[in-house]
Amino acid sequence: MTPASTNVFTEFLDDYFAECDEHLTAMRRNLLTLESLAQQERVDVSLLDELFRSLHTIKGLSGMVGLAEAEQLAHLMESILRALRRHQLDLSDEAVDALILGTRTLEQVIATRQTRQPLPDIAPAIKQLEAITGPLPDLPPSPEETPTAATETRLPLPRESGPPAFTLREGERAWLFQFTPARALAERGISVDSIRTRLQEIGQIVHAAPRIQDGGKVTFEFLVTTDADDSTFTPWQEDGLTWAPYEPPPPTPAATGLKAVPTPSIGPPNVVRVDLTRVDDLMQTIGDLVISRARLEDTLTSLARHVPAAQQRQLQEINQALERQLRSLREGVMRLRMVPLGEIFERMKFVVRDLARERRQEINLALSGQETEIDKLVVERMLDPLLHLVRNAVSHGLEPAEERLAQGKPAEGTIALRAATAGDSVIIEIEDDGRGIDRERVAEQARAQGLLDAEAPLDDPTLLDILCTTGFSTRRQADRASGRGVGLDVVKKTVEELGGSLALDTEVGRGTRFTIRLPLTLAIVDALIVSVGGQRFAVPLPSVREVIEARPKDVTVLGNEDEMLSYHGDVLPLIRLAARFGLQEQFERAFYVLVAAHGAKAAGIVVDRILGQREIVVRAISDPLIQVPGIAGATELGDGRPLLIINPAVLIGSRR
Amino acid sequence: MPNILVADDSPTMRRMVIASLQSLPNVHFEEASSGLEAIERLALAPVHLIVLDLNMPDIHGLEVLHFTRRHEVFRSIPVIVLTTKGDEASRAEALSAGAAIYITKPFEPHLLAQYARDLLETA
Repeated sequence: MTPASTNVFTEFLDDYFAECDEHLTAMRRNLLTLESLAQQERVDVSLLDELFRSLHTIKGLSGMVGLAEAEQLAHLMESILRALRRHQLDLSDEAVDALILGTRTLEQVIATRQTRQPLPDIAPAIKQLEAITGPLPDLPPSPEETPTAATETRLPLPRESGPPAFTLREGERAWLFQFTPARALAERGISVDSIRTRLQEIGQIVHAAPRIQDGGKVTFEFLVTTDADDSTFTPWQEDGLTWAPYEPPPPTPAATGLKAVPTPSIGPPNVVRVDLTRVDDLMQTIGDLVISRARLEDTLTSLARHVPAAQQRQLQEINQALERQLRSLREGVMRLRMVPLGEIFERMKFVVRDLARERRQEINLALSGQETEIDKLVVERMLDPLLHLVRNAVSHGLEPAEERLAQGKPAEGTIALRAATAGDSVIIEIEDDGRGIDRERVAEQARAQGLLDAEAPLDDPTLLDILCTTGFSTRRQADRASGRGVGLDVVKKTVEELGGSLALDTEVGRGTRFTIRLPLTLAIVDALIVSVGGQRFAVPLPSVREVIEARPKDVTVLGNEDEMLSYHGDVLPLIRLAARFGLQEQFERAFYVLVAAHGAKAAGIVVDRILGQREIVVRAISDPLIQVPGIAGATELGDGRPLLIINPAVLIGSRR
Repeated sequence: MPNILVADDSPTMRRMVIASLQSLPNVHFEEASSGLEAIERLALAPVHLIVLDLNMPDIHGLEVLHFTRRHEVFRSIPVIVLTTKGDEASRAEALSAGAAIYITKPFEPHLLAQYARDLLETA
């Protein structure tokens, strides 16, 4: 039955994509675990169950939104898992490969549907999957083929009989918990779900079942093995829980020798899913609040002369409290937008695994800091750049095994992917222990292409700038993994658009490390408010290294009219904001220079005056007709007059 | 006001079911994302119709169905089993256990609504 009215459900497409994404993420993780178990006798049943359930949900939902290709792929993969679950099929490399290809194709089908592009060819994946299952008739399969489809994926849950056998580890005890749900408890947020989560935190739930008491009251029984002391759960009495030590019945002959089946983590985590646009709306309102508070502060300042000191202090205290509370409100909403980087790190595992196979090379991917959180939007934008850097590390970085062994390195190459939070930034590192970048070769090429002066030294920042130049390549032949030098410029551009920076460290024979620094949030930043030619501009504080006061006589003009300022024993090229925007400078004796850097280049941005430091709300300028290089957006300070936000990196980058 | 319990581990699927039944007069919805939760909902508020998915984590939909049929208080609540293609084998089991109707996904929203209306009226 295919609904003629499928379009009824198109309003749920965004939910569909989001939910599929969650399942695909879980599937990728589970498949990699499964792969590591290939050809083993016993496979963790819960792993197969979880994969099965993900596919089952994707299949059901795909059918509802009319995406038949996804439905078909999920159905075939589900059949393989069912056969594995019933031991009708061995967990061979071929089966795992087919599942992985199937997952990737499924992912592509869903992604192309989302971006409204033509769907990919699913025939190769179908062919490979059918080679494992044997050709299946059209959907739905006949009942004979799936005689116990439903019971197969059911968790062991005896009905009125006793709980299943389980094993206790050193120091563990078994407890039988009983939870009686009640409305009063539900109003306090205490439900069977939260109780289950609570019990999972202290140990393992071996068995869970509903019971009806005399009088018709429903209770839930949980058998839990834990090393926690019963003082841990004493306070839980108030939450409708009772417990008693549980004595397992003596093992029956049939039960001995059976290993306990690990119970999968059951139930969803305690999470609400919110549409990102709602969070954006909230952020917008907070932005408006920030502006209103700035107006309040300005009004207070202008009233200062007319208000007695005591009242003025009170007003100031209220104003400051408001500022603090607004900051914590903003941080709270920001946290809603944060997602762990682990999700995209998981994807990298998949990519590395494929590349390793393709190149017939052992590659170890070491991940750390997966729990580091960053803005959802940043994660989405960073996926492709990170993919690119990881591919680069494999194809340009790691040497073939023989070459590595000859150099006394382990045959297995290592790629490390690390993330950490540092102040207002998130730092992501991609490091390989490969051959490093051959400076001489790059320098030679760069000189040939006119990108580097004959005698100029090639330090890491300059090297990065050259590698990031569009079209620059030292590879004679593009290879499949990384393409031809295309991309590093895109990586850098994306990072900079997000207000971050990219750095490079490399040592020949030892390896290469890329370091990406990204701001935690995008919407509100601290900025310097400056004035040039009577106009105000905002410059984000994180991009300003230093502010120096200078006088016209300190400036040296070179033959090509470039202006330089002596700076820490070096020279600093100057960019006059007034000249950039057709304004007339209006300073008296001295002007100010904001020192900022962009890759290897540092420069000073000349302004008339510094007006102060403020928290500003960044409003992007989305109309391409009024987008100007060097302008990151616009903001207002509460007086109703807009001002432009400068992006120093772009100004410096575009300097001749 | 009739209370309809929608039990499915997929939040999107629950929304689709609720959207399909929204047109029924004066109905109120309860949601559950697992078998245990479904039973808790039944214990906490009177329910007049259950739309039940089979393949759910922790307690399978068939277990929930068996549980409700075994106990006096819940026995008369009509159950629509709404499950994904491929589970057809459980059709006979579900119907003999006492499910009123067995529907496979993808389902026709107006048909689901029609069945629900009939069951609420006869109950």
